[in-house]
Amino acid sequence: MKRARSNLLSIAGGFFCLAVLLGSGCGRGQLEGEGTPGEMVYFGETSKIRGFDPIRAGDVSSALAASKVFEGLLQYSYLDRPYRVEPLLAESMPTVSRDGLTYTFRIRKGIHFQDDPCFKETGGKGRELVAEDFIYSMKRIADLKNGSSGYWAFNDRIVGLDAWRESTGGEAPSDYAAEVEGLRALDRHTLQIKLTRPYPQLLWILTMHYSFAVPREAVEFYGKEFVNHPVGTGPYILKSYRQNYRYEFVRNPKWAETGRGDRYPDRAPPGTDPQLLADAGKPVPFIDRIIQYVIEDSTTEWLMFLTGQLESSGVSRDNWDAVITQDKMLAGELAARGIRLLSSPTLDLFYIGFNMDDPVVGKNKKLRQAMTCAFNTDEYIRFYNNRIVRPKGPIPSGVSGYSDQPSPFPFDLDRAKKLLAEAGYPDGKDPATGRRLQLTLELGSAENPEFRQAAELFANFMEKIGVVIKLSYNNWPTFLEKMERRQAQLFSLGWVADYPDAENFLQLFYAPNSSPGPNHANYSDPAFDKLYEQIREMQDTPGRTELYRQMSDIVVEDCPWIFTMNPLAYGLQHHWLKNYVYHDFPYGMIKYYKVDGEERAKWKAEYGKR
Amino acid sequence: MNSPKSKVQSPKSEEAGRSLWADAWAQLRRSRLAMACLFVVLVYTAMAVYGEAVYRVCRIKDITPSYQKQNLEEQYLAPSLPSRHPMGTDGLGRDVFQRLLQGTRIAFQVGIITSLIAIPIGVILGCIAGYFGGKTDDFIVWLYSTFASIPGLLFILAIAMVVGKGLLGVYLGIGLTTWVGLCRLIRGEVIKHKSRPYVMAARALGLGPFRIMFRHILPNVFHIVIVSFTLRFPAAISTEVFMSFLGIGVQGEPSWGVMISNARLRLWHGVWWEMTFVTLAIFGIVLAFNLLGDALRDALDPRLKTGEV
Repeated sequence: MKRARSNLLSIAGGFFCLAVLLGSGCGRGQLEGEGTPGEMVYFGETSKIRGFDPIRAGDVSSALAASKVFEGLLQYSYLDRPYRVEPLLAESMPTVSRDGLTYTFRIRKGIHFQDDPCFKETGGKGRELVAEDFIYSMKRIADLKNGSSGYWAFNDRIVGLDAWRESTGGEAPSDYAAEVEGLRALDRHTLQIKLTRPYPQLLWILTMHYSFAVPREAVEFYGKEFVNHPVGTGPYILKSYRQNYRYEFVRNPKWAETGRGDRYPDRAPPGTDPQLLADAGKPVPFIDRIIQYVIEDSTTEWLMFLTGQLESSGVSRDNWDAVITQDKMLAGELAARGIRLLSSPTLDLFYIGFNMDDPVVGKNKKLRQAMTCAFNTDEYIRFYNNRIVRPKGPIPSGVSGYSDQPSPFPFDLDRAKKLLAEAGYPDGKDPATGRRLQLTLELGSAENPEFRQAAELFANFMEKIGVVIKLSYNNWPTFLEKMERRQAQLFSLGWVADYPDAENFLQLFYAPNSSPGPNHANYSDPAFDKLYEQIREMQDTPGRTELYRQMSDIVVEDCPWIFTMNPLAYGLQHHWLKNYVYHDFPYGMIKYYKVDGEERAKWKAEYGKR
Repeated sequence: MNSPKSKVQSPKSEEAGRSLWADAWAQLRRSRLAMACLFVVLVYTAMAVYGEAVYRVCRIKDITPSYQKQNLEEQYLAPSLPSRHPMGTDGLGRDVFQRLLQGTRIAFQVGIITSLIAIPIGVILGCIAGYFGGKTDDFIVWLYSTFASIPGLLFILAIAMVVGKGLLGVYLGIGLTTWVGLCRLIRGEVIKHKSRPYVMAARALGLGPFRIMFRHILPNVFHIVIVSFTLRFPAAISTEVFMSFLGIGVQGEPSWGVMISNARLRLWHGVWWEMTFVTLAIFGIVLAFNLLGDALRDALDPRLKTGEV
């Protein structure tokens, strides 16, 4: 589960987090001991990294960081669209029993964990990955003592795992030796997962960081510090770090040592840029060393990009005009200098949520509808310089179940006022106090001016119908805590899809997922819940898509959220970044990227002289 | 008010009746720079009062104040005269001038309220320490030394974090941390005055310590408070701007710090006006208050005039 802040800076995804930094020009790069150009790369990350433990990486930047070091059974195919999963640590796709309940995975032989002092038995040498590692990792996420926010992915899915989870609640140490029926190692390299009922999304889930293989030795050796000492099988290892400032990853030497031959994909769907296949079949990763900085300021990011210190950049609202011309093409000067603009719709959904437990907004459907009608789509889009589209419902375009019907509550001030009067607040006046209705909107942070202004804009929309919005800024952890304790009245939040399936969005309205689960609006509707329980077991069929639409309609009618935006991902790359393609789930994909160091050095030398 | 400093009064006997305050005012009048600064401060005060009036009226009438009115049709308008937006508009089409006025209101609120917190603490503790001496003095000196040893900004941020974001945090943060300097000065002066004949006389008459401290000594050291006020006022404003810029100060109101933070986004893109005008406003008020404070000190501190040590 990933919750994204409502600002475009951190909507994760490839563009915004993929800012490759270089040491500054004019010989100063020597400071970092730069070897041959292109061997070392600086990445920027636009929001804080909370740690590397896969079960705690609930946010995008932490998940991206963890996925450099850890790996799962499956991964997204890099080039294929629509999205498809392919085996990573598994030898092949699993065999699925006819009733859809038993999945059997063959695990690749000869995959080793990185060398680490935690492997005492082998004297620090990384041992081979076995099926038990996956069982251990999944139990870890189920362990109540770990308090992982990711258990929703397995909750009520795997035979015996819920019971095991219950057993970890007490004082006694959790019993990892206890057998869980649904998770069995048939032999060293065969993993069998038994489900309580069909769960077609399991394959998406297994690409996620929550099911990454974690060695038990490391968890026990490092204890609480495991979050800062990742030990995985992945393409990179964490060499050194300074919290939220600088992280250094280097190529995992174990890959060469054990002759692990992961390769760049050698086929792509028709219509793919042929340049993306230039490295087809070559061994990955291409980049030797990654230095990742946390840059939280979009202006800094942009200026660093211009000087060639960053490999790629997002396009924030404020540099939009300079970058993109009216018809959304790259402005001439930048294009002429070889900067590429890639744009792609994202599956990210941002919203203002109503806490349905709140006595004022939760029980008053007309009020919520009125506020939805008062949301001025055009102005909001204009504020974001056309970088967003306004969603019509919980299912974004590009996911089956998306409906292109117009929203039943489009921007309409007169209607909003009428609905507000019906809600019991004529002209916004609260009959109890005689003053305008005042609602509090909880926000994640006050540091980002764009985010702050967007909130002020929303307050202004509501002001037009006479509802006063008080903005309450928190820091991010306090904000999440308020949400988990159901203390927010209105809150601004985003959802970054875990997998490209409408079910992933609809679960946000399922009553048993209420806070502290991902349903922070604490929305509850029996008819919806029943449909949800139905669809989550269905394979991808037209019937399921139809049910998706019905569920979406229920939510849209009830307005537990005001859907504010689906951002369009626009990203800029310097021409020396190779093999880059936008992906909504770019976890672990840095191994496919390549950098042409000579081109980069040339840019840096020439920048400012023109 | 007492006029104890007979030694200090002008040697010309025909002016003997003039008090310290009248004397100071006369001297201040003679300095053109000081009068210009006083004028500037008065202009800012008028702006702040006007801002406060707008804010109050809008609150009472329950309407949206003009400085919060957004209009995306008019975003990033450059300043021009004559027009409705002499200082241009910001990214949400709000009038920079109106917001600047509100920023003045907040700056004054911060300056005044933090003074109301810090000055009484400094004066009372300083008087008590200086007058009683001994263990009391030791304790108060220990207390303010401890406060002074904590890095100021961190202390302010810590208090603001505990109290919560918003103006209250700013008031308390700045108010509770900036009384040390004044406390020190007052303590020193009180120690000096304690042995003066008029204090001894008061004691001989059987007056209580608090009456002597606050009725007799305090008026004679009050010029320190005034000078200190004019100097700490701009410092408090700068701190508030800084806190708001970082996002832990004023919330949802147009503080100068918030405006600078917003203006930063488009600055490189040539939207210079919001940043420029706000910076000029801060520059103006800080400079005026500082120069005025210096002039006041010259006028009020008799030692500087007479060479008395």
